Amino acid sequence: MKQFKLEIISPNEVVFEKEIDLVILPGREGDFGILKDHMPFLTSLRVGIAYIYLEKKIIETFLVTGGIVEVSQNRCSLLTEEAINTNSVSSTNKTEESSNKDEINLKRLKERALEKLYYS
Amino acid sequence: MPSLKDLRNRISSVKSTKKITSAMKMVAAAKLKRAQDNAEKTRPYARKMSEIVNSLVENNKSKEFKFSEKKKKTTRNILLIVCSADRGLCGGFNGSIIKFSKKLSEKIINDGGKVSYIFVGKKAYQSLQRFCGESILDFFSDIANPSIKFELASSIRDKILELFLNNSMDECHLVYTEFKSAISQTVQSLKLLPLNALETNNNNSSNKSYDFEPSEEEILNEIIPKNIAIQIHTALLENLASEQGSRMTAMDNATRNANDMIDNLTLFYNRSRQALITKELIEIISGAEAV
Repeated sequence: MKQFKLEIISPNEVVFEKEIDLVILPGREGDFGILKDHMPFLTSLRVGIAYIYLEKKIIETFLVTGGIVEVSQNRCSLLTEEAINTNSVSSTNKTEESSNKDEINLKRLKERALEKLYYS
Repeated sequence: MPSLKDLRNRISSVKSTKKITSAMKMVAAAKLKRAQDNAEKTRPYARKMSEIVNSLVENNKSKEFKFSEKKKKTTRNILLIVCSADRGLCGGFNGSIIKFSKKLSEKIINDGGKVSYIFVGKKAYQSLQRFCGESILDFFSDIANPSIKFELASSIRDKILELFLNNSMDECHLVYTEFKSAISQTVQSLKLLPLNALETNNNNSSNKSYDFEPSEEEILNEIIPKNIAIQIHTALLENLASEQGSRMTAMDNATRNANDMIDNLTLFYNRSRQALITKELIEIISGAEAV
């Protein structure tokens, strides 16, 4: 498969930087996917989850709290205020209790992000 | 010629100064590490953001939008945001910021503009207070305690956007110190508003035509305030790192100078003690010879 570069950057760090096949992002006006040789594209995101595909498998998922996506010359940059790797959350929730906790945490994060969006 | 007791006192006072400066150097070095990490982590985000904004604005050269230059006015009201430190004892750090902003505002006044100020950090505020008079709009201090928060940058952003949109300000510059390394920092000014296309970088980005969703204008209106806030935030972080770096080198120099001074004073002390002993011996010998 043809690959392109995705980078997810938050103010605190570069969260993700890798060659990938496909990324599905939560756009303000609906979800969209980006493949190689996408035309130059600029849009804003709502709160949601970004799915990153490599070789027909999801390799990472990130919870993003809004942000901006720029695609140009086979390079996709996602600028977001917070990006949380959901793998690191879901891999720990073996027991129901902890998964509930994680869900609550995720919910809270989402609420916080929504609030941020609302006030910004 | 000072007496031996005076010399001893002098040496001990220099020694205690040296203790203070070397302790301050250690503290600054520890803080520098953290501040530098923070500053470097935020850089990619800020750089990318301003890249996007620049290419957007460049594509929009002809059109007039919400944050672009207003052409009608004759006198320009210019806002300077001056970032300095809260504390002294950091070499030429505050001095060069003050000098730079003074020069900049004098230039603006000579060109027939009006200057107003927002200060972040006590030092520049204190020494430019008299120079600026009534035109100080706001003053923030104690920002880095315990760490610089993004909220501060957003509140400054809200303020300048409000001023800009109700036409009481036409241009906004940010004066801060760019952190290059622990020993080299340069004072800089960054134009936050209005946005015009940079004439210089006509690279390949100029022929990009983006597809926008929902629309170009909405994206611009969302991204520009974000960009301003993050630029202010990075400037504050860089400024903090520069302050600590500058303090570290200044205190290092002070410690070294104190060492030199102690060496010289000890040498002088020993010499005069020896001279005193010799003098006494001569007196005794010549006294014995006389008998």
